[in-house]
Formats: sequence, C-alpha cells, structure tokens
Amino acid sequence: MKYTVEDRLGKKLENNIHEAMNTTMSDEEKFSFAPYDPTAAEKTGYTSYSYWGSTLRSFAKNKMALILLFVLVILIAFTILQPYLPGQYGANTVNNYPMSGMQINNMAPTKDNAFVTVPEDTVLVASKVKGFDDWYAVTNVLASIPKRTDFTVTEYGGDWCKVTYKGQDGYVKNDKLKLPDDTSAVPFSCKSNFNVSLYSSMEDMTNPDTNSGGWLYIAASDTEDLGSGNIRTIRETTVRTYPSEYGFVFGTNKIGQDLWARVWSGTRTSLYIGFMVAIVEAFVGILVGILWGYVRALDRILTEVYNVLDNIPTTIVLILVAYIMSPSVKTLIFAMCLTRWMGMALFIRNQIIIIRDRDYNLASRCLGATPGQIMMKNLLPYLVSVIMLRMALAIPSAIGSEVFITYIGLGVPLDTPSLGNLINEGRKLFSGAPSLRYQLIFPTLVLSVITISFYIIGNAFADAADPKNHL
Amino acid sequence: MKSFLSDAAYFLFGSPTAKYIWKRLAAAVLTLAIILTIVFFLLRQMPIEGYFDNFDKMSEATINAELRKMGLLDPFPKQLGRFFGDLLKGDLGTSVKYRKGAAVATIIGEKCGISIAFGLSSMLFALILGLPLGGKMARSKIWDKCGTVFIVFVEAVPAAVYYIFIQMYGTDILGISMLFDKTKPLTWVLPVFSMALGNISYYAMWLRRYMVDELNKDYVKLARAKGVPGKKIISGHVFRNAFVPMIQYLPSSLLYTVCGSIYIESLYSIPGMGGLLVEVIERQDNPMVQSLVMIFACIGIVGLLIGDILMTVIDPRISFARKEGSR
Repeated sequence: MKYTVEDRLGKKLENNIHEAMNTTMSDEEKFSFAPYDPTAAEKTGYTSYSYWGSTLRSFAKNKMALILLFVLVILIAFTILQPYLPGQYGANTVNNYPMSGMQINNMAPTKDNAFVTVPEDTVLVASKVKGFDDWYAVTNVLASIPKRTDFTVTEYGGDWCKVTYKGQDGYVKNDKLKLPDDTSAVPFSCKSNFNVSLYSSMEDMTNPDTNSGGWLYIAASDTEDLGSGNIRTIRETTVRTYPSEYGFVFGTNKIGQDLWARVWSGTRTSLYIGFMVAIVEAFVGILVGILWGYVRALDRILTEVYNVLDNIPTTIVLILVAYIMSPSVKTLIFAMCLTRWMGMALFIRNQIIIIRDRDYNLASRCLGATPGQIMMKNLLPYLVSVIMLRMALAIPSAIGSEVFITYIGLGVPLDTPSLGNLINEGRKLFSGAPSLRYQLIFPTLVLSVITISFYIIGNAFADAADPKNHL
Repeated sequence: MKSFLSDAAYFLFGSPTAKYIWKRLAAAVLTLAIILTIVFFLLRQMPIEGYFDNFDKMSEATINAELRKMGLLDPFPKQLGRFFGDLLKGDLGTSVKYRKGAAVATIIGEKCGISIAFGLSSMLFALILGLPLGGKMARSKIWDKCGTVFIVFVEAVPAAVYYIFIQMYGTDILGISMLFDKTKPLTWVLPVFSMALGNISYYAMWLRRYMVDELNKDYVKLARAKGVPGKKIISGHVFRNAFVPMIQYLPSSLLYTVCGSIYIESLYSIPGMGGLLVEVIERQDNPMVQSLVMIFACIGIVGLLIGDILMTVIDPRISFARKEGSR
C-alpha cells in the first residue's frame, strides 16, 4: 500500500513538472494572483529535520575533519590489506643476504633495491642463488689482474681503457695505471702497482658495501645463459642489492627485519588495542553508567566506589597490572580497560541524571514501560553521539598508553610489533647515528597521523552532534 | 580570652566550612586506607623473584625460610596489620636489589630533591607561558587558531613521541649532550621545557574556556558601559574570576612534582623519583615498587583534598555541601 501511494504521488509530481515545463504561460497568467490554497499553507508547517542528517551535514562543513576522516579510512584499510599485497616481507622474518648469509641490518630505506642500470647486451659473470631460483648473483669482473702484471691496452679512454689480458678482452679503470708518455700509440703494454679488476663493460658492477658480502643480483628473466658461468642481458635492466624487485621501503632494523612490514603490523596491533579498549570501555561504562544514573538505590554506593577507585592514579594501575601479569596484548587491554570504564560510567551517569526525569520518560512510565525499556529505548539513543565521541577519543589515548607502557619496559614482547615497541626500539638507536633516525621517524609519523586524526574527527563529530549547532 | 577560645573553637569545628573540611579529611583518610589495602593486596600478587637479589642460586627451602622471615607467608590480614603498623611508624621497608639493605625512605629522601626542583621550574614555566596564551586565545582570532593547533598537537600526540623528538633535535641545536649534567645549566632547559609543554596546553585550554564564559557575563558589560578600560576589565575582573576554577588543581600539581616525570627523568637520566620507579620495576625490586606506588597514590589523594579545601577558602560562593561537579 505504502509503495503504491508513493509511486502515485511520485508520478503525479513528475507529471506536474513535465506539464509546467511544456506549457508556456502567457504574461497575463504570470502576473495574476494565485487562488487561496489551504493545503499549500500546510506545507511550511512540515520540516524535514532529521538528527543524523543534520549531524552529517554540519560535520561535512568541517573540511579539516573530513580530509582527516578520508586519510584515516584509507590508512586503516591499507593496514588491514597490507599483508595480502604482493611483495610483502614478513613482519618477524629476519632477512639475510643470500650469498653471504649476513643479516641485512640497518639498511636505509630503498624503493626497489636498485644499484645500477645496465644496458642491453652486457655480459656478466653469474652464479646461482640458493633459495632464489629466478635470480643470479652477478658481477662484471671477468678476472682480477694481480699487481705489477703486464696487460695490453688496445684502446685508451678517459675513465676506462680497453685492454687484453691473457687472451681476454675487457676494460680496466683508468686509475693509477703506469702509462707510457704517448698514450695514443695503442696497443701498448701497461701495469699497475695495485690489483686491478678486468670488467666486461665500462661499468663497475661490484658492490662496494662489504656488509652485504659484495654481491649484486639480477633477475634471470632479463638475461640469457651463455654457458660457462656467463650471462647476457637481453633488455635494459637493473642490478639490485637484494634479489627482489620489492625494496625495504622503510629500511630494515638492526636484525634485518623489514620495517615497512613491522610498521603496518604494529599499526594493526595498536589499532586493535585501541578499538578493543574503546569497545570494552563503552560496554562496561554504559552498563554501569545507566544503572548508576537510573537506579536511585545504587547511586550512593556507586558514587562512593567511584570516589575510591578514581583516586588511584591511572599510571600506577597500568604499571602494576602490566608488572604482575605476563606482558601480552591481552594484558595491556585488560589494564587499560580496568582504569578507563570509570570515566565513561561517570559521564553516562551525569547525562542520564539530566534526562532521567524529563516528561517523556514520565509519560512512558505511565503508559507501562518497564525500566529496561525506558533505559534502552528512551535514554540510550539520546546518548549515542556522546558515546561515539568518547570512543573516538579513547582510541588515540589507548594507543598513547601503549607507547607509555612499552617505554617503561612492560609492553608487548618484541615478536608482536606494535607502534609502542617500534618507537621504543627506534628511540634506543637515535643517540648513536643520525642516519638511523628513519627507524624512529616512520613509526612516529604513522602514530601521529592516527592519533591526531582520531582526536580532530572526534571533536568535530562532537560539535556536529550538538543540536545547538544544527541551525 | 574565653570568647577568643570559643571563637577559635567555632572557627575550627563549628563553621560550615570547617565541618566540610573535617568531613573531607575523614573521608580522605578512609579512602586512603582502602586504596592502600587494595594496592597492598595487588602487590602481594607480584612474582616472588622480586624479594631476592640472587633468586636463581637459592634452594626452595632457603626461599621459603626467607619468605617466612619477611612475614610473606603469614595470612593476609596479619601482613596488612603489620604493614599499617610500620607505616604509622614511618617505616617503608628496605630495598632488596636497587641498593641492598638501604631503607626506602632514605633513598627517596635523596632522590626527591631534584624531582621537586625540575617540577617546580617546569610548573613556573608553564604558568608564565600558558596563562598569557590562554588569555590571548580568548580575545584574538589569530591567537586562538595558532593556540588550538598547538593544543591539538600536544593533546593528541602521545607525550613519549614529542619528548623524544625534542631531545633528539633540541640537543643537536643547542649542541649539548643528550643526558642531564648537574653542573651544566644548559642541560636543564630541554627537560624543563618538555615537562612544561603538557601543562602549557592544559592551562591555556582551560583559561581560554573559563575566560570566554566570563567575558559573556553581565558584569563585563556593566564595566564596559561604565568606561573601565579594556585591559583593566581583563586583568582585574575576568582573569581573576576565570582563574578560580584552575586553583583547584594547583596543589595536586605542586605535590606531584615530588613524583617527578617518569618519561623525562629516564630519557635524560635525571637521578629523580620518576626514573626510580621505572628502574625498580625493571630490576623487580618488590619492596621499592610497593613503597613508591603507595607514595604516589597518597600524593594524588592529598593533592585533591587540599585543592578542594583551597577552593572553598578562596571563593566563598562555592559550597561543597552538594557533590562538586566533575572535572
């Protein structure tokens, strides 16, 4: 029935509009008085005000909060999706250089491990990489020429000289070579007081970084096998410091774990803590708060209990619980919930007391509504907006508490990355070398974006939800 | 003489304010006793390793003997009674790991001086910066915007984070070492500044709010209509009225300086009380943890009590006969 009425009205309206558009009014009609219509007068008596609609509209006016909401949604979505994206390292995997077996410790952030770009048709000396079938460990050093050994320069150039050594053609760096007076009269015999390397092309493709064991890697698909340990590039390609196209975007930590994976895994842990604390706080707080505010017999007792509990410093409770129980995410959530529900309960109680004795509740009671119905149907919906605000603010402060507890040394163990222990690990490093500060900066950046966003969005929402601002 | 005595007696016991204060005092003592009991009970759950400095090398028999000697195997009420008895005598127990055999009270006595010094200077700094900021924010749009950005930043970002960055870049800029050195006055600057930041934002935020409330009141309009200069309205009327609600928290803040700042003191290796708690937790020194927690809890309660009393004394319009508003 409802739909047919709506349909009919909609059709009628549509027809009216079409009619009005199609008929052309004469000037006379346009300037004559319209007849009195009592139903038209009624129309202004109806307002399309809806609480949530107005709240959303006035929230949308706050551009800053809107942008941050967008950022936050993307950040949370990315945090959840990150492990399923291609090319991610494990958060707890210790990454080693495959050839030397050394940990990739404290590697600075790199986009794709690129070391140098090589052109097509470059001959390289390759060896297989254990565990990485699609990669070769390469170098373009064909041979090492011992010091004070003769070789023949066939072409003299600025930085590089083309030479022949033991029947092999190649290039050496034109650096500290013992050269004759006339370098243009090639070929001539030449030697160096140092060991020099014979390169296959005018490019030094050896990794000077001895920490990594001095190896570079190339994707097997970009090369063809020439046999006898040599390969040739079939297209322009990149030689990398690690056999993967996916770099350590945030670098690695001191034992070679990928900081990118750890930061997102830590964000997941911290957000999980934040959301859990907010939910438990809301649930317990609302339950106790409603009883406290609505049931008069409980008011006196609960107020006294609150006075006692509220006087115990929060920090002390957090520290004690974390100290007594074994450190884990659950312990942290428990400790934080233990202290936080009271604030929520008091807040709800104060709100309930304000609206408890309003006339509409009296009317409900006269009509036979049970206390349960009044609490759930009359009181609670009134408080939804303020509860949401409290929850939005509880998340950043729970994350902050986690950082604090970790800082004291009572946080979650290191194999569960959280923003707290990432920041703490980063902090321990920065006094050493300024080049390692990225290990502190990335987690703090993510943390700050999250906490500031929640804070601003929460406050903007509170303003928007206040009916005083709905005009 | 007799009338003086009766006046004094009335002032101390009969007047409504005095009655309120006595009632609050009694309630505070009771609360304190309950809290100490709860904390004492919680602390009994701590791992027993924390009572010995060479736990791994001891046999079970010696551990039990030692525990019995310390009275830890007695029934809980007996332990509690003994604890309150010792507390009344001023005996807080002795450290087992941090400094073996030293009385906790002695250690705290040595440590709290520097914490108080840091706390007071940072409070002073926060008041000097925070109050004018709040006052300016209440009156000028630009200051309000800038101040809000500052407050949002300080409130939203966890303190640990910006403390670390202040230490990191501050020491670079000033060209000093990371750690606190008593003999170098320059190393005082960063810890005091970091500790003050939270309070600056707190004072500014609340003073602004109270001042905005006051500025809309009728007496300001009257003063303006009378021709009182704007500056005098602000300093002589609005500020004084707006500051009253903030006085309540000053005693707590003052007392809390004894506890020191847990973060700051361990970041800069300041040998004060805040760092002490972290250190004894790390080394699992149970008696020390216990006494420190007790002291911190007491300070919180006493501070709140003094704050409430101060309010009634300073502003006679405020009556605490009913339950005071939430903070």
